[in-house]
Amino acid sequence: MAQLFLNGLVTGLLLALPALALTLVFGILKFANFAVGALLTFGAYAGFVANVQFGWPLPLAAAFAALCVALASIIADALVFERLRERGSITLLVASMGVSLVVENICRFFFGNAARSFDVTLARPIRWQGVRINHEQIVTASVVIVALILVHLLLTASPLGRAMRAVADNPSLAAVRGVERRTVARIAWALTGALLGIAGVLAGLDRAIDPLMGWNYQIPIFAAAILGGLGSPLGAVAGALMIGLAEEMSALILPTNYRQVVSFCVILLLLLFRTNGLFGAKAVRK
Amino acid sequence: MSAYLVTLVILVSVAALVGLALNLQWGLAGLVNFGVSGFVALGAYGVAITAPHIGWLPAMIFSALLCAAISMALALLSIRLEENYLAIVTIGFGEIVRILLLNEGWLTGGALGIADIPRPFAAITPPGGGDGVILAFAIALVALVFVLLELLVRSPFGRVLRAVRDDATVASALGKPVLALRVRAFAVGGAVMGLAGALHAFYLTYIDPSQFTPIITAYAFMAVIAGGRGSNLGLLLGAGSIMALLEATRFLKDLVPSIDGAQLSALRLGMIGIGIVLLLILRPQGLVAEPRRRATEFFPNAKGEG
Repeated sequence: MAQLFLNGLVTGLLLALPALALTLVFGILKFANFAVGALLTFGAYAGFVANVQFGWPLPLAAAFAALCVALASIIADALVFERLRERGSITLLVASMGVSLVVENICRFFFGNAARSFDVTLARPIRWQGVRINHEQIVTASVVIVALILVHLLLTASPLGRAMRAVADNPSLAAVRGVERRTVARIAWALTGALLGIAGVLAGLDRAIDPLMGWNYQIPIFAAAILGGLGSPLGAVAGALMIGLAEEMSALILPTNYRQVVSFCVILLLLLFRTNGLFGAKAVRK
Repeated sequence: MSAYLVTLVILVSVAALVGLALNLQWGLAGLVNFGVSGFVALGAYGVAITAPHIGWLPAMIFSALLCAAISMALALLSIRLEENYLAIVTIGFGEIVRILLLNEGWLTGGALGIADIPRPFAAITPPGGGDGVILAFAIALVALVFVLLELLVRSPFGRVLRAVRDDATVASALGKPVLALRVRAFAVGGAVMGLAGALHAFYLTYIDPSQFTPIITAYAFMAVIAGGRGSNLGLLLGAGSIMALLEATRFLKDLVPSIDGAQLSALRLGMIGIGIVLLLILRPQGLVAEPRRRATEFFPNAKGEG
């Protein structure tokens, strides 16, 4: 029981970064980016190249992955999303699906379907009061918590964060005050890319790296972001923790094959009863 | 060669049915469905499980109704919200169907799938003539669905769906029941996807979960975008040319021997992704633009000003 709780917390922390990435872009550009999963996969492979093929240590590889995915996100924005920005969110949704296909298959083309893993030495898990704690779990938890604190500080205590929140609240008013949406959007893409790159490396530590790994995280990521209220960064983190706990705890009553079903049911229940999420601002009812 | 041609025509027919369905949901009514593969799988398994017991025609009707009912439920849950929610609910649905098919072995055969699905008219088919019969069946099915959907598009129902898509507020201000209209459009689309799945199952006579990946969804979106959203004729052109192009990439292997199977499929899917994005940016109206009728067609006596 305590073991499942701990696993759930770590799974939730792992989900927190991509959920945050999803919600940040949604807040500023008002569309759900279906390429988060593929970009996460891309991050894992970038980390793999740095770690295994260049022989870099893992922290450096993670930084490399963050940089690569940030660049990829900016390129995707410049080539695709910016050109379609005025066409409404449905077009952007479908375009993000197209981008997702391209990114995923670039990874598949170069690395094949076989599962890969990072070059890390396996450490013996720590036992504490009957609970097993993996080395990877400690790394994941500490990296995510540091990243979350940094993002929080960036959003709340810097001029850039103020500008991002201003654009999210009211783009025209922000524009009148001299805050340009385009620049802010680019920075938001870079930030989400970096988060997804780090998340990809952490996910690769947790499981194997394969072209579909990000796709398998897609539903929990969306469940977390919707649970927290799309567009609310703090909510996304809280939602991610809850989804992580729900998925791991469900092992008590459900076969583990059905973990994804848990996330899906959470989404359905939310849509039925609390459409704006637990912490969401305003409802998006049409 | 003729067997290959039959395969190609059936592939195009299934893709065309799926595309026609998505064209109704997304092209005409503006509702995103990322769970297309789930509905096709449901339709295929629906006939695979029931056809041996109740015969092919009732099985097809059952599949279509099942898919329509589930579409309706998903639509009711999420359609009153923003597009983003319908998209994620349908994507989740597609995945859940796949997980259920893999894990509920007592009903679906799990990863092994279901074999020996009876084909339509199997009892009166002369030996060796199976391909011809299924070919005719596929073409007849596509023609029937095409005609029905064309009638639907031209009916007042089709007109009001377009109005809802273009501006839901205006439509509801004119007293149109926006929610009910959307749910109905989504349900009809779901039923047609079920039929596509049924045709797939009848042709292969063997199905397993690996045949119903999200790739089907990607092809359908590509077909709708390429053909022109809202135009059924364009859709048939789009679906046909895409499937032909995809099949042509098979021969790439002969030209570039160093490429392996996984790379080839990655290349195809990547091309589909690039195609979707490029068409959205460069030619959003597709090959055949949606037929638009002028107000003067309805009021021939009025003095229209252009």
